[in-house]
Amino acid sequence: MLTPTSAASRLGQTENRDTLALRNTRFAEDDFIDVSVRRFDESGARSQSFKVPYRKHMRVLDALNWIAENEATDLAFRWICGSKMCGSCALRMNGREVLACWEAVEPKMMIEPLRNLPVIRDLVVDRTPFEEKVARLEPWIERSAPYPGFPEPLSHKQMKDASKALDCIGCMCCYSACPVIGLGDLTDFAGPAPLVQLGQTALDPRNSPEKVKRSLALTGIFNCISCYKCEEACPAAIPIVSRVIEPLKAKTAELIPGMARHSHALRAIIAARGRVDPGALILRVQGLRALANFARIFRLLLRGKINPLKTLLVVKTAATAPARRLLHGKAAAP
Amino acid sequence: MHVLSTDVAIIGGGAAGCYAALNLHRRGIKPLIICKGLVGKSGASLFAGNLVISGQALGNSETQARNTAEFLIKYHNQFLIDQKWARRCGEWIEKVYYPELEELGLYFRRDDEGNMVTSPGAIRSIAANVQGNSGVPFMDLRRKQILRAGIPLLEETVATALLRNRDGDIRGVFCLNIMTGETFAVQARAVVLATGYSDRLHKRSTGTREMSADGIAMAWRAGATLVNMEMQWWHTNDIADPPTWQRMQVYPNPMLGSEKSARMVNSAGEEFFNQQQDDPLAFGPYTVQLKALAKQVHAGKARYDGGYFAGFDHCDPAEVEQYTTYAKAYRQLGLQFPQQLVETAVTSHYRQGGIDVDTATMRSSVPGLYIAGGVGGHSNGLIGLATYDGKVVADGIEADFTGLKGEPLSESEMEAEQRRLDRLRNSSGARVSPVQIKEKLRGIMWDKVGVEKDAAGMQSALEDIEQIRLDLLPDMAIANRTLVANYEWLDAIDVINMIDACELITHSSLQRKESRGPFFRRDFPATDNTKWLAANVLQKSGNSLRFEQRPYDLPFFQPGFEIRDNLEVAW
Repeated sequence: MLTPTSAASRLGQTENRDTLALRNTRFAEDDFIDVSVRRFDESGARSQSFKVPYRKHMRVLDALNWIAENEATDLAFRWICGSKMCGSCALRMNGREVLACWEAVEPKMMIEPLRNLPVIRDLVVDRTPFEEKVARLEPWIERSAPYPGFPEPLSHKQMKDASKALDCIGCMCCYSACPVIGLGDLTDFAGPAPLVQLGQTALDPRNSPEKVKRSLALTGIFNCISCYKCEEACPAAIPIVSRVIEPLKAKTAELIPGMARHSHALRAIIAARGRVDPGALILRVQGLRALANFARIFRLLLRGKINPLKTLLVVKTAATAPARRLLHGKAAAP
Repeated sequence: MHVLSTDVAIIGGGAAGCYAALNLHRRGIKPLIICKGLVGKSGASLFAGNLVISGQALGNSETQARNTAEFLIKYHNQFLIDQKWARRCGEWIEKVYYPELEELGLYFRRDDEGNMVTSPGAIRSIAANVQGNSGVPFMDLRRKQILRAGIPLLEETVATALLRNRDGDIRGVFCLNIMTGETFAVQARAVVLATGYSDRLHKRSTGTREMSADGIAMAWRAGATLVNMEMQWWHTNDIADPPTWQRMQVYPNPMLGSEKSARMVNSAGEEFFNQQQDDPLAFGPYTVQLKALAKQVHAGKARYDGGYFAGFDHCDPAEVEQYTTYAKAYRQLGLQFPQQLVETAVTSHYRQGGIDVDTATMRSSVPGLYIAGGVGGHSNGLIGLATYDGKVVADGIEADFTGLKGEPLSESEMEAEQRRLDRLRNSSGARVSPVQIKEKLRGIMWDKVGVEKDAAGMQSALEDIEQIRLDLLPDMAIANRTLVANYEWLDAIDVINMIDACELITHSSLQRKESRGPFFRRDFPATDNTKWLAANVLQKSGNSLRFEQRPYDLPFFQPGFEIRDNLEVAW
């Protein structure tokens, strides 16, 4: 069985001969890199190309700094620490989100600003929408019991998920990579980065369940489709789905069952029938409202996606018993 | 001119500035934070690797408590520190700092059984979440506290000048929003400068992009007294390449949960420094390391800009990775961890000196101007010390508050500053961009006011800097006059501050005629406690400089010798 691990960002690298060792050894000192930078200002967008001389261990940010010093002194890009702590230099290189200070240069690079955020100028994006979402979630601790004094009783076992979330540097790579955030206002999904920021305190056993509940209610968390794009993009290698979003979903299902109606219904149907019955799922989640959408029901019937007879008779399959064991036994997900 | 009003304007959003804001807010005094970068992301505080255990917290023995104090005074400040202030600070860190941080939710790393993980040894430390990354959750917590308290926060906004009333008292700040190009003034009853320890004034500097000695330069122009500006500290093993990683350190301190620390190897493959073996009392062994490196450089087995290596090839990788971030950088460069070492180089780090303060109130010599954290000249850096300043400055302002009056700002002063900024944005010389001038200046400082210096080199540096001021600045050109995210314009504003600060540092370095700790002079190689166990105080006098000495009291720790070759002094 394939288990999601913290190495989502490295999946396929060995097969594609794209290891860190190779990325760091493909240039000689006198090589040049072709860099194309997407520029944007009030007059519109354009691309500008540069030939940048390679130097040892060069990062994307070194290439941008070389350009700003030698070719395009007005190139706007944000960076602060240059060493993967501040998370301010995230951008897209050849179609994937990277931290400019952390990522090795490639022979041909197309550099663009992050997606899903307004662009201010060139590679500088407006962080405000992200910061506002984080603020709305009130990502802090409210204790239900008084603080017992330093050091308080606490173990790493209790903090293991929160501790992963604490590696977050707020770079917004995952926010740019998330396809659900890409849908804009179609969902109320807070997005991976705000959820990781929330996870830092919501997965901390010292936080009061009431406080956590209040924050989780604002996340739209079940809009997450567990596509792992966020994990793949995370430069801090946080297992965002498996160690943050999934535990937060479990917490939401427990504290606010109404938000998890779809998940609860899906599990109940699988436990009862040993398979997914789409007709039953639609009925359970949408109720009789589902019947109002004739056109959709007709299409589903036509394509054999739903079988009203099977749905009404609660037809079980041979998988029912193992499914119940999986869902309710020790192997069940949290 | 758009003018915002507040009780106290705080310039700087690191550990000191944030804690000052939170403390003032708690006392019912309205703060406003002006941050050139992003709170929780910019400045030096983010780089806190671990947190030193002060006093007898967490089972520290009396000896370990004394070691910590001795380390701070000797190795960290070379006796150029108010020892009574250091004691007050240590007590506060023990009794208030850790409990307060933990109550707020900061996660001090535990093991699975619930024991706090410490680095063992003569001096102990703990980490927030992971060693090497403690500053990240620490500053993130501050950001969220500021948010929760509703303290006004102006980010990516640079303070370009301190504004004065008719008596010369500081009553406001002139600001530029870097993202929009809007200028405005903040009128306040007091201003706190909290712009940090580290500035990017040398070719290799730990200072982050935005740190260009703005605090020093603005305070100097406002007439503030400076002290020990020459006392520059250096990181000895920061990664040599890529340039972007110049402030990424192979931490030499003891590792959490291990008896080991990184080792340093010269170009001949010989180990020349390993903190846990060589000097257990030098918890942050930067000066000891630097002296060990100087001997290698003199023997031709290393250079200050590379040619030597650091790493953990004597350690079990699991031991390093359990509680630290250290392996990640090696792997990212494609190196085998821990078998391969990484080439390292020297980087200019914190400045021990800065603006002269009264350590009981954090007043500067200019009425209305207060100081917190590294930009002060009273101590060298640790995130706990910078935080303590945030508390003391709030005490100081609260005590003075009724005497501090808000006054309308001078229109002509604001207009003059606006004109200055407009002129810089319209720079239309033919030769050189602001960032090129910055790099030239950093090159001069590295070559002539670097690790080892002498009078002839420094005189020549002053001439070079003067040449930049007279020849290059008038020829500065800006390619794009946009108001939006114009970093080129910001570089032009920065470079003027940097030039002033570099001159002051060079003059101060010429003035201290000895070597002490990380301050190496080829022409005065000895540490001279008979003449220089004193603050090197620098004041403005008309259009020139005036130096005087102010001896330090030595109530708890004394150097125990008069004159000795600096390279043979442990600290």
